[in-house]
Amino acid sequence: MPRLLFEIGTEELPAWYVAPAAAALAEGLTARLAELRLSHGAARSFATPRRLAVVIDDVAPRSERRVEVRRGPAAAAAFDADGKPTRAASGFAASAGVRPDELEIEETPKGRYVVARREVGGEDAAELLPAALAALVAGLPAPRKMRWGEVDTPFVRPVSWLTALWDDRVLPVAAAGLEAGRTTRGHRFLHPDPVSLGDAGEYEAALLAADVVADRTARAVAVRDAIARAAAEHGGMADAAEALIEEVVDLVERPFALVGSIDEAFLELPDEVLTTVMIHHQRFVPVRDAEGRLLPSFVAVANHRVPDEALVRGGYERVLAGRLHDARFFWQADRRKSLAQHAWSLSGIGFQKELGSMADKVTRVGVGAVAVAKLLCVSDAEKHTLERALPLFRADLASEMVGELPELEGTMARAYAMADGLPAEVAVALEDGVLPRGPHDALPATRVGAVLAVSDRLDKLLGFFALGKRPTGSADPFALRRDAVAVARVLSAQGWRVALDELVAAVARGFEGGPVAVDAATVDEVVAFVWDRVAALLAEEGLGTPTVRAAVLASRAVIGAARRGHLLQALAGQPAFAEMLTLYKRAANLAERAPRGVEADPKLFAEPIEAELFAALPAARAGVERLLEAMHAQLPAWDLGTGPTGAIAGLDALADEVLQLKAPLDAFLDGVMVMVEDEAVRANRLALLAAVAATPRALGALEHLTG
Amino acid sequence: MTFQDMIMTLDRFWASRGCVIAQPHDTEVGAGTFYPTTFLRALGPQPWRVAGVAPSRRPADGRYGDNPYRFQYYYQYQVVLKPSPADVQEQYLASLRELGIDPLAHDLRFVEDNWESPTLGAWGLGWEVWLDGMEITQFTYFQQVGGQDCRPVSVELTYGLERLAMYLQGVEHAFDVVVTPGTTIGDLRRDFEQQHCRYNFELADTELQRLLFDRFEAEALRLLEADVVHPAYEFVLRSSHAFNLLDARGVLSHTERQAYVQRVRKLAEASARGYLRLIAPSEPADAAGAAGPAGPAGAAGAVA
Repeated sequence: MPRLLFEIGTEELPAWYVAPAAAALAEGLTARLAELRLSHGAARSFATPRRLAVVIDDVAPRSERRVEVRRGPAAAAAFDADGKPTRAASGFAASAGVRPDELEIEETPKGRYVVARREVGGEDAAELLPAALAALVAGLPAPRKMRWGEVDTPFVRPVSWLTALWDDRVLPVAAAGLEAGRTTRGHRFLHPDPVSLGDAGEYEAALLAADVVADRTARAVAVRDAIARAAAEHGGMADAAEALIEEVVDLVERPFALVGSIDEAFLELPDEVLTTVMIHHQRFVPVRDAEGRLLPSFVAVANHRVPDEALVRGGYERVLAGRLHDARFFWQADRRKSLAQHAWSLSGIGFQKELGSMADKVTRVGVGAVAVAKLLCVSDAEKHTLERALPLFRADLASEMVGELPELEGTMARAYAMADGLPAEVAVALEDGVLPRGPHDALPATRVGAVLAVSDRLDKLLGFFALGKRPTGSADPFALRRDAVAVARVLSAQGWRVALDELVAAVARGFEGGPVAVDAATVDEVVAFVWDRVAALLAEEGLGTPTVRAAVLASRAVIGAARRGHLLQALAGQPAFAEMLTLYKRAANLAERAPRGVEADPKLFAEPIEAELFAALPAARAGVERLLEAMHAQLPAWDLGTGPTGAIAGLDALADEVLQLKAPLDAFLDGVMVMVEDEAVRANRLALLAAVAATPRALGALEHLTG
Repeated sequence: MTFQDMIMTLDRFWASRGCVIAQPHDTEVGAGTFYPTTFLRALGPQPWRVAGVAPSRRPADGRYGDNPYRFQYYYQYQVVLKPSPADVQEQYLASLRELGIDPLAHDLRFVEDNWESPTLGAWGLGWEVWLDGMEITQFTYFQQVGGQDCRPVSVELTYGLERLAMYLQGVEHAFDVVVTPGTTIGDLRRDFEQQHCRYNFELADTELQRLLFDRFEAEALRLLEADVVHPAYEFVLRSSHAFNLLDARGVLSHTERQAYVQRVRKLAEASARGYLRLIAPSEPADAAGAAGPAGPAGAAGAVA
């Protein structure tokens, strides 16, 4: 069966777009084939900076033949007294593409109806495909498209050529002002002549011969190998972040790695400044020694093997030196002031119109952070560190370096604080306080840093919520969800067993006496907003919705909820847990009627069974406590969304302790009448049941798990 | 190849491809994009091809001549082709070959660059062209200019002449670039650069610049009202430069800075509308144009 090749040749695509666009093209085409009822074999995607392509094997030459049945008007309305079709029937027949005398009558549960049966399909795939392929060019999703020349089809970059082959036949696709042909193009410089393809199957090999590694996976392997080998030859290890590699792969068609060197004088700059300049500006890979120290070298990946490496290396080195020269200019300019002096400039940087400048914000965060620290009962040393860090928090926003390289916020605060001779713990807290910068970024390592990070994010959430600027649907213009995710991750990773609502209320104290009032309702909204993110992150860890709900409702602390989620999931695999749920359900059903605030009073017990059940409670409660202790001890705090590293051992035995309630409860429910006339006795029995139900419910809101 | 040979080579190359070789404009601009031959001519349907040196001033980019690559005054070589030709990348590469840059010998790359000028109400998509890791050209397909959609689309090529020359001559600092045997860029510009950096960063009278900005803005608005877009646009350029000086002096708060940007942008957008009225007097570009078509007499005077 025929093989289909479709290639969109372009001027250089943005690197980040190449992989997703190739996937979208393959998905779009296979979806279209399904709609056209063209069966097919394996689809392979190809992508480079200059092309997006897909090759699909064994495409059916004709669309699937099938009978299409359409139901029309009721039979009674379809034919007149003479048995001739009415206007309704002939209209329906015309719309269904059959002659009126071909209409049939079908019995349905709703009565007799006219139906039209028509054999459809069998169309020539080569006739169907050109329009489908043209539509793919116009419809390929992209966040931002452009126009060029006088062409009216927006695309991410100008489309230069189209190649469409159906085995050895050219498919007449017309799109983006171009007609498809059988020629593709090779490497821009190594192979400037057009490459003519005799057959769709020649695509990959013909491009390889024309110096283009069109298979993105193969190119990625080549890039990784080349970088690692080049670094090793120079006695170091490439410090190649995944994101950098992924980008480099889509900047080249034929990768070739080169090593260059850096003037050692620049190594006085902080590590992160050097690597950020190398990566962000040049897409060079830093090289480190076995101890992780930066070596004065870098690896660059060129688009082809250059004849004179020294010429190109010299170019790389000069341009990097220029960039580092600039970074040193900023470093020296910033160093003319202390970090404390930079902090004065925060009043000139706006945070948000109603919420004031960055200086106003940092002042608010300071009040909140002190309240949070108190809640956490931090040590005197930590309190001291926090107090020293607060006046400098986010001061590097006013520095030239952060103005030029915004991703160094926090990092520069640490570097400048160290250079000012401040204690290392203060410097580290300043950097930790802006972490995580993104969804996959590292979290604060220190408790003081975490206090700053959480207070800063909650301050933003409270401020924007108080102004009514909360996210709606998918619209989140102030990226508040990202802040809530950061709060959830930090709280979980720190393992703070502190109520989220109390933390938010503590941060809200920063707003007291300020121009924007934060009331209790706003606090509640922010608390609920963060809980939503906690739930979403737990779901990402693979927990089902009922488990997440049961966990989140059973704890006021993020880590408590997170651990309970995993405890409940682990318990769900135990036979004892099903019994525990039954026990809970039996007690809870009746206990719903228990009057609030009444505790079971042994003096009111009339039957020995009541006393036995009551007597079993402390041991069961202790069992629950031990279960929770084991949970807290055996699940070390973790970055929410990534899943815990530990597992809870001995669940069986622990669950059995809780199940000691089972026998006395059964006896109670079988042998004691709860809903008696005597109100005091009835209330007492209900209160006893409520106490029984509450015991396992400390593990999680079990009502969400009982189905 | 000397610096001036490079310029003449590019002039000849683009002249042979039908470009008008425009001489530098005589009002300070931050980049060639601000040139009326770019900003205004990118608007409207008429085909247009222009090339030439565009001396530019970016007060905040000065480094007292210490940084080999960054200056407050430098040359761009500016090419605008409307509509953008399908083979514009090939044409550009051919111009590099004329300069003696063989793409096979180098690592030459087109790396995504999304250009936006908030002060001009303009944006476009394209690339930075990297020669062995060094950005030598900005390559932009204009999508909007002065808040107006560009149809057809112009492509703008902006060569960084000094850094290209450094590369070609194998020198480490732009001041060492030979302009003509016996004379370097440093000979011509070292004192100029250092003194202007002192002016831009240390001496510029910020009260004067604030005042000038206000007056230039008012004048631009008055001239736009009178429908003489060419002189009006020069006052837009002057107000933009006053803003750049204030920015370099670091006296603008974040919000103040934003406000100035918006003020220049309003002027630039009004100029774009004024220009569209000028080139199509019978078809007003928008509601503002309905107030009264530009007089052809005024337009003729401005072009001359």
